[in-house]
Amino acid sequence: MRIAILEDDISQTELLSHWLQLAGHNAHAFEQGANLLRALERESFDALLLDWNVPDLSGVEVLKRVRQRLHSSVPVLFVTGRNREDDVVTALREGADDYMIKPVRRLELLARLEALSRRGRHGPEQAEVIELDVFKVDCQTRTVLRNSKQVDLTAKDFDLSVLFLRNVGRLLSRGHIRETVWGPNAVVTSRTLDTHVSRIRNKLGLTPEFGWRLAAVYRYGYRLEHLDAANAQRVVHSDPKAAA
Amino acid sequence: MTGTRRTNPAEITRDSLQPRVVWLEKDLEQLVTRFLRRKEDELARLRQALSGADFETIRKLGHDLKGAGEGFGFPELSILGAKFELAARAADAELIAVHITTMERYLKRLQVRFD
Repeated sequence: MRIAILEDDISQTELLSHWLQLAGHNAHAFEQGANLLRALERESFDALLLDWNVPDLSGVEVLKRVRQRLHSSVPVLFVTGRNREDDVVTALREGADDYMIKPVRRLELLARLEALSRRGRHGPEQAEVIELDVFKVDCQTRTVLRNSKQVDLTAKDFDLSVLFLRNVGRLLSRGHIRETVWGPNAVVTSRTLDTHVSRIRNKLGLTPEFGWRLAAVYRYGYRLEHLDAANAQRVVHSDPKAAA
Repeated sequence: MTGTRRTNPAEITRDSLQPRVVWLEKDLEQLVTRFLRRKEDELARLRQALSGADFETIRKLGHDLKGAGEGFGFPELSILGAKFELAARAADAELIAVHITTMERYLKRLQVRFD
């Protein structure tokens, strides 16, 4: 997952980032609420970890703006030293999905993040096989079938296809796509990314004539839309044999 | 001044002279080294804040210590952080001085080993 951390204590930030990276996530740290809000206008994340007491905007103020102004339903987990009952209630009522009181424990934090991801307003699913409309994706054999016929994809095209098919209807920023498909330290030009997107659009038929649209959003990223979503049947198997 | 019994900072018990050995995972070495160096620096900041009766700075440093200490493998520092926070809220300079001495002593006898 791509996770944004709002935390002003450098030691805490380093520790949380370390734990998340060890668990295979990409962590992005912000010291100030305003900086995180600015980032959210141009970047997408799978989850936010918010501290309450940070300079300028508090974590709760950030949360309010995320929900009300940005209309974002990104999962939010509060990680804060504020332990009063009314603090917990305030954060949850403002739209937080979970609340942890510092000091937090590593495995518990990771498990709660996984749970938020599973509840799944956002976040890639861990399913090995995804069936969606005419597509059947097997992540173990790294194959995509369209109308039961295998589509010839490069490794990156496959990863990109999986990312979009796991996030139908969700706007993904260019940074998010780059990081998920090419890794956090890769240098990938916009043109390269656009070329790959264009290629999977053609190869998978993600165009209106087939009931799909892989749309570019100016200065932000891409969103895969299913134009006939009401009739789409989505079946997700965790066991590839069950789908065979 | 409350009626709570306080430790005299000058009282050095046999136990407080013993090294406190903490074993941690190797991959935490850099993080923990930086963390402990920052805590050494914060001792000076705590003393300075105390001399200026800047209880808000002490509260904030205590709050952060409480939040991070245990995660790095030092639950004693989290407890101490909570104590700083409480004493700062009560503007209890005498108690803060005791906690500073405790923290200094703890960091001095701490021996961290990584494997």
